[in-house]
Amino acid sequence: MDIKELSLLGCGENMVEMVEVDEENFALSNSSAADAAFDAVIGRIEDIIMEGEFQQLQRSFMDKHYMEFDDSDENKLSYTPIFNDYVDLLERHLERQLTERIPGFNMAAFTHLLMQHKEEVPADIFDMLLSFTDFMAFKEMFLDYRAEKEGKGLDLSHGLVVTSLSCTGYKHIGSTGTS
Amino acid sequence: MGLLTILKKMKHKEREMRLLMLGLDNAGKTTILKKFNGEDVSTISPTLGFNIKTLEHRGFKLNIWDVGGQKSLRSYWRNYFESTDGLVWVVDSADRLRLDDCKQELSALLLEERLAGATLLVFANKQDLPGALSKEAIREAMGLDDIKTHHWCIIGCSAVTGENLLSGVDWLLDDIAARVFTAD
Repeated sequence: MDIKELSLLGCGENMVEMVEVDEENFALSNSSAADAAFDAVIGRIEDIIMEGEFQQLQRSFMDKHYMEFDDSDENKLSYTPIFNDYVDLLERHLERQLTERIPGFNMAAFTHLLMQHKEEVPADIFDMLLSFTDFMAFKEMFLDYRAEKEGKGLDLSHGLVVTSLSCTGYKHIGSTGTS
Repeated sequence: MGLLTILKKMKHKEREMRLLMLGLDNAGKTTILKKFNGEDVSTISPTLGFNIKTLEHRGFKLNIWDVGGQKSLRSYWRNYFESTDGLVWVVDSADRLRLDDCKQELSALLLEERLAGATLLVFANKQDLPGALSKEAIREAMGLDDIKTHHWCIIGCSAVTGENLLSGVDWLLDDIAARVFTAD
């Protein structure tokens, strides 16, 4: 993965190629083409974060960690590494998806453009992306998830398996889903 | 650095500051935080994790992080250094026996690379207690005048009465604003 990323470094100009530019308009310079390429990437980011796969990624992450979160004002120190893992997970997913969908996509080149075109990112996308890095929003999301999980009541049917003493050889243990 | 991290740093520049409040246990960090936030400060138990409050002050958004100060927790402080604009070091001015410990811990923090750009505010807290050392005595005992790596200031305060808390934050805000927001 790292090697692949390295080999893509410095090919930011490839982003220009993916936009169709009329021959006669070519004199408009690379900058308008780069603008269009930039908008295209933003569009793809929007697609990615709206997809079921993205939400599935969030849900399975929450499934793994929600029991750690308590509804109290003070935060546990353990939330912090979980939060860092979460941001990392989403970042890697975004980058992987963009690389798959956009030929020659280069994250370093894109983030460089991003800083110059900050004002052109639609506010709702910008805010949504930012919310993924907001610790308080993260904690809130987990508390909501836990409340939702527990609001449904405890379903013990998966955890309790009745086995006869005389035939323990069946070993139903392991069907709990909590491991 | 990933996309989201970069976006966060970009947003960070817009009249928003991150303050990290540290100090030995029982220095009064959480009391200061809650007092700022207008919360009841009569029953505060030792912090085992961390607290975050966001305050609006003079048009700035201050995100204040307060991490527990017990010895066993201090190794976790490092997890909160990133993007810190201001370090608030809280001293229990009545705890003479641990002033040296307090000095050592602060010295170690000032060597941290990720805090290199942070402004330092030292709160000589608990000035309302009869046995409290003055801020000048704390300044000397902690060797603050030797600090050349950071902008710093010491202010005597009382978290319980609220005395001087705001003047401390005002100084911190001015220093950070002059450094960060005019540099662009």
